[in-house]
Amino acid sequence: MSYPASSDLLWEITRSNSSFLVKRKTGGGINLSRDPLNLRNIHSRKHSGTVNNQAIGIVPSGKGGISLLTKKKTGATVTQTYKPSKTSRKAYHQIANSTTKKGYRADLREDAIARASALIRSYRKPVKATKESKPRGSKAKASAASAAAADL
Amino acid sequence: MTTVKHVPIVKKHRKRFNRHQSDRFKCVDASWRKPKGIDNRVRRRFKGQAAMPKIGYGSNKKTRHMTPSGHKAFLVHNVNDVDLLLMHNHTFAAEISHAVSSRKRIEIIAKAKALGVKVTNPKGRVTTDV
Repeated sequence: MSYPASSDLLWEITRSNSSFLVKRKTGGGINLSRDPLNLRNIHSRKHSGTVNNQAIGIVPSGKGGISLLTKKKTGATVTQTYKPSKTSRKAYHQIANSTTKKGYRADLREDAIARASALIRSYRKPVKATKESKPRGSKAKASAASAAAADL
Repeated sequence: MTTVKHVPIVKKHRKRFNRHQSDRFKCVDASWRKPKGIDNRVRRRFKGQAAMPKIGYGSNKKTRHMTPSGHKAFLVHNVNDVDLLLMHNHTFAAEISHAVSSRKRIEIIAKAKALGVKVTNPKGRVTTDV
């Protein structure tokens, strides 16, 4: 027994008040979670890492790699780091093989791979540079006038 | 940064609802107050009178709070808040809180770009116009 209390009780305690919880009322309101063992950052019973006996987390490990976090029965977190490689699919396979395919939170497979993929994508340099916005209204007139003056 | 496909956003009443007779008296502010008088023609919905706000003007639940780009705004105060949106960049856009300095805004915008998160107010305090 890793915890003094059951998962359901822990969730009832942490669902309304937790240091990981981020509440926003704008945009219709949403509750997000900063929990590293939360794959979608959604504050819910399923995704909460503190509450569940088994949980998966994917976090950046620095140097462009990703770390897979899993929970032991004792509640301790195990970290497995994957270095950046040319084929990111290798990392996805390893993540799935070491966790969900062994029956360890099989419901989180899609989320784990989606998060790993999103993190790896975020390390890439942006392909498109941000467009310079065209001047509009009075600024457009002013720039046109200065261009005409330069022609003369 | 593209959003999930959604039903078209329909705004049933784009104009503001102005308070009755706010156009006639400067002491009557335009912010909406429901007319309560016994003879009031706006309250009795006479022809040609101003429309009153009612629940029927509400937006479709699926598109409520949505910006024209299809995102909903999520207020961020620092770089760590942007990290929360990693898996939600199709549904939520980051909105930088008003009290954030220009130095930190630059960091937030750089992080958002890396994560593919749209920022609704990227120009605030960052670009300087002479």
